[in-house]
Amino acid sequence: MSKIKDLQRLLETKEISCVELTEKYLDNIERLNKTINAYVRVTAEEALETARKVDERIAAGEKLMPLEGIPMSLKDNISTKGIETTCCSRMLQGYYPIYDATVWETLKKQNAILLGKTNMDEFAMGSSCETSIYGVTLNPNNTDHVAGGSSGGAAASVAGNMAVFGIGSDTGGSIRQPASFCGLVGLKPTYGTVSRYGLIAYASSLDQIGPITGSVEDAAIIYDCLSSYDPKDSTSVGSRTTTHDKLNNSVKGMKIGIIDEFFDGINRDVKSSLEEAIKVYEDAGAQILHFKMPGLNAVLPVYFIIACAEASSNLGRYDGIDTAIRQIPTRI
Amino acid sequence: MITREEILHIAKIAKLYVKDEEMDQLIQDMSKIIDYADAIKAVSRDSDVDFDNINNIANAFNEDLVIPSYRRDEILMNREGGENGYFLVRKSQRG
Repeated sequence: MSKIKDLQRLLETKEISCVELTEKYLDNIERLNKTINAYVRVTAEEALETARKVDERIAAGEKLMPLEGIPMSLKDNISTKGIETTCCSRMLQGYYPIYDATVWETLKKQNAILLGKTNMDEFAMGSSCETSIYGVTLNPNNTDHVAGGSSGGAAASVAGNMAVFGIGSDTGGSIRQPASFCGLVGLKPTYGTVSRYGLIAYASSLDQIGPITGSVEDAAIIYDCLSSYDPKDSTSVGSRTTTHDKLNNSVKGMKIGIIDEFFDGINRDVKSSLEEAIKVYEDAGAQILHFKMPGLNAVLPVYFIIACAEASSNLGRYDGIDTAIRQIPTRI
Repeated sequence: MITREEILHIAKIAKLYVKDEEMDQLIQDMSKIIDYADAIKAVSRDSDVDFDNINNIANAFNEDLVIPSYRRDEILMNREGGENGYFLVRKSQRG
């Protein structure tokens, strides 16, 4: 089920070169991005340069690293040295980071192929990409619909076959929701496992960086590559995870809690998919426990208080006094 | 209910203009937001479970080490090179 592994097999057996593979994805972007608007910046030169390096390593008989040679995308709130990073806001247009986010540094070391920066709601605040200054991202499965958000560009880049995987960020659903809208796998890692250094902050006690992929196996491969302790992020507690090795472990005897309130008023299709998934786990020997969770209606107000308070604090620096472009004061 | 004076105070520190004719709507909207947040008051705090730091996370402190940092001209690159090696800051206070 792993596209990453399948492509690496093709690269290693020299059925396709990394430059050819990268060009194929760049062609897809050229063809589809005008309509879908997944990418706000395409980094074709950098991508081909890395691809040539990978081909040289394959020719020399070197073993590929877990994400080596795989064409991917980064959300536009992840700092990339020398590549414009705007959070899809007018306030940061023309901003070129002078350092790499730790996740990008890790991916770069693995020779992952960066195809470009993806669209998002401005400063990651939204669930549809409609607040991006670059315009909305459409859902490649059905262009009458949005791709979701805020990592809508990341999800659309994968769903439209314009990247093998996309790296997004999630504060209150921004990886999981667009992944769901586009029929993909989205993972918000446990807080502290993936370094947030170089992620332009929204709500620091909730933000996490994670992958959007076509399969659980690919999500596990990427998660294991990105998780590590980073002294540059004071909330980092992680050590390298070994999720991929455990994917085929038995779930026999494992307890899975189902919160009944979450089933109130949900879409019929979503409900039946969830029930199907529960059945799969049950048949595999997991113990399903239904329970009620009183006080759930306080969760969203708590989220909005925390997210808005931290956003006010984090975004205060874009007041145009010493950072960011000053806009004409808005009348409200 | 939030007052007209409170809204004007918030607008002033946020450097936003508020038109008179927008005031009634703003009072209503902001009161609604505050009522929404008040939903958390309904949650009972009588519980045997200690909800403080449920994940048992400890503070992470780094050694106080001096390590190489970025070059000054690199840092100022996004501000058109700055002025005499410093950020040129816009005047933000009157008087």
